[in-house]
Amino acid sequence: MIALEVKNLTKRFDKILAVDDVSFEVPEGSIFGLIGRNGAGKTTTIRMMMNIYLPDKGEVTLRGSRVGQEFKNRVGYLPEERGLYKKMKVLDTLLYFAEIKGKSGKEVEKKAVEYLKRFELYDRRMSKIEDLSKGNQQKIQFITTVLHDPDFIILDEPFAGLDPINTNLLKEIILEMKEKGKVIIFSTHLIDYAEKMCDHLAMIDHGKIILKGALIDIKSKFAQRNVSLTYEGDISFLHNNHIVEKINNFGNTTGIRVKEPQYAQQLLRLLVDNNVQVKQFNANDISLYEIFIELAGREDGKEAANVQ
Amino acid sequence: MFNKRVMAVFKREVKERVISKGFIYMTILLPVFMFGIVGIQTYLYTEQSTKYNLIVISETQDLTSRIQDDILSSDLIKENYAFRFYTMSKEQLNNFLNENKKELLDEKITGVIYLPASALNDKKIEYYSKTPHNLKLSEKLSGHINKVLVDAYFNNKQLSQDELNFARQAVNFSGLKVTKEAGFEEEGYGSLVLSYLFTFLLYMSLLMMGQMILQSVIEEKTSKIVEVILSSVSSKELMTGKILGSAATGTLQMIIWLSPVVLVASTTLFALPPDITINVTTIQIVYLIVNFFFGLMIFLGLFATVGSIFDNSQDAQSGLWPVMILIIIPFFIAFSMIQNPNSAIGNAASLFPLANIIVMPARMVIVDVPLWQLFLTILINIATFFAIFPVAGKIYRVGILRTGKKPSWAEVVKWLKYRY
Repeated sequence: MIALEVKNLTKRFDKILAVDDVSFEVPEGSIFGLIGRNGAGKTTTIRMMMNIYLPDKGEVTLRGSRVGQEFKNRVGYLPEERGLYKKMKVLDTLLYFAEIKGKSGKEVEKKAVEYLKRFELYDRRMSKIEDLSKGNQQKIQFITTVLHDPDFIILDEPFAGLDPINTNLLKEIILEMKEKGKVIIFSTHLIDYAEKMCDHLAMIDHGKIILKGALIDIKSKFAQRNVSLTYEGDISFLHNNHIVEKINNFGNTTGIRVKEPQYAQQLLRLLVDNNVQVKQFNANDISLYEIFIELAGREDGKEAANVQ
Repeated sequence: MFNKRVMAVFKREVKERVISKGFIYMTILLPVFMFGIVGIQTYLYTEQSTKYNLIVISETQDLTSRIQDDILSSDLIKENYAFRFYTMSKEQLNNFLNENKKELLDEKITGVIYLPASALNDKKIEYYSKTPHNLKLSEKLSGHINKVLVDAYFNNKQLSQDELNFARQAVNFSGLKVTKEAGFEEEGYGSLVLSYLFTFLLYMSLLMMGQMILQSVIEEKTSKIVEVILSSVSSKELMTGKILGSAATGTLQMIIWLSPVVLVASTTLFALPPDITINVTTIQIVYLIVNFFFGLMIFLGLFATVGSIFDNSQDAQSGLWPVMILIIIPFFIAFSMIQNPNSAIGNAASLFPLANIIVMPARMVIVDVPLWQLFLTILINIATFFAIFPVAGKIYRVGILRTGKKPSWAEVVKWLKYRY
């Protein structure tokens, strides 16, 4: 079942074509990743999904009907650049954000208090936002995203700028929401995060979708003839070997593409014979990052590889 | 247009404004400050504590007895004035001044007024004092002295008492206001004071509320909160809520500011001198507030739009000049009209969109303005609002999500063509 369908979205700013004929489908109950480099068009796509920007062309449909205010009410949105009213009190902030989503009254207030207690911020409920630490402000921002009990959660670069504690907290929230059957859509340039968390994805580069589908399908399609290797020692002898097509070094792991599927066993033997200590050898496995590099080329991809 | 979300934004806006320190200070302190200035002036003017010990010396016996009769029979004696009267020649006067120098310097004697015989030709009299330029004193005494000199001068000329009275009289301007109703109302300075007051209050409030919404838009923009809000409400709803909230706050402030005026005008609790009684009808006050509300909405829309274009206060202040001109020019027109109520520019400006917010209230209290003109300005302002709002809203919509380089005006015009 498709929950949200993005059809032929196009957006141009002056001379820049920010989003170029983008289409993808977000299934019900999925964690969907929109992956691409900085400036690839992720935020613009999300803003069009949220009806913040009007697309030049194309549309976004929610279970068959065009998204509008009703969708906005059912969405929890955490933009990449986050912000709160500095002078507003914590509890007032939470209630205000719920109110503009159409939820107000005792029920919401009770939930707000529950969240504050859970995040150990209950005693700060009357403090002004500006008096909170940055980490605590981030927590408040998470609560505003989910307090109105949205069916959809859209997170734009959710892990950017979070401290490790809040990173885990956010992951916890995301998984909890998934268990409740909510649809979670997030964009990220951190491909490793996406690989660990999402089950469906779309890759966007220079405003165009270069790959989309279920993570498993994508991986199995690209994983043939591929070996993901963790080792100690010297493997430079492989560079001129006739069975190897390509070697990609990603720091901790190395991706090796062999010329024929049956060469994988030979490769392992070769490594052992050459006294390379093999710690991990996954035949027919490929990281999402390798796929991304293969499709989008290297460019500034190195940066993404090193962020773990 | 008016839904729950707009209401939520509206409520937040009002709450934030009304409980802000700036608002409370301005709302309370401005009237206190204004009344304070008026009060201090009045107090200083009517100050009773100083005792005036004056010596009036005339060169001729005749003048001495005349001035003595006149002053002693006047009200001055009841106030803090003490007089002594002498007749002396010029030389005797100099001796007298030398002898009493110490008293004069110690201000035991406030001053010596010398009426030479020549004053009957040129009305020139002399005043010796440590502080000779005492306007209040000369104002109080010049009438008496003039009268005495006139009497003495005409004494041996064959004139009737009526002729004498006429000659003695100073010119008295009575301001008579022409109104539609039968008869003429005698009018004091109250209308002028009221006119200045309205002009000043409206000007202050437009600037203050404008700056507030400008800062608020910039804060939402720079703190990036605007994107979170736009995921719930549309930019139009956000702008509407903000403008309505600020306009309501500004109007509340105006009502608070004007309530003393209403109180003074409609009750006799405050006894004002007859030449500054204020004459303002309830309809005029209600008009002022209603018209201000709609006018304020237009200006707030403009301020919010400017705020949305820029990233920081400095840039925004420098980009604010077109809006400032729209406030400052009517302000000066209103002032010039108070001096010349029938100026053509004033009449035109009192109907002109935006300008009428300041000019019309200033005009309506000094000139009899037909009621239909008042209603017309309200309609003009509402129409102006609906003409400006879509354009301003479009710039706002593009502006609030834009960051980075300070845009040029040409770029801003280009935004209007964007499909956002």
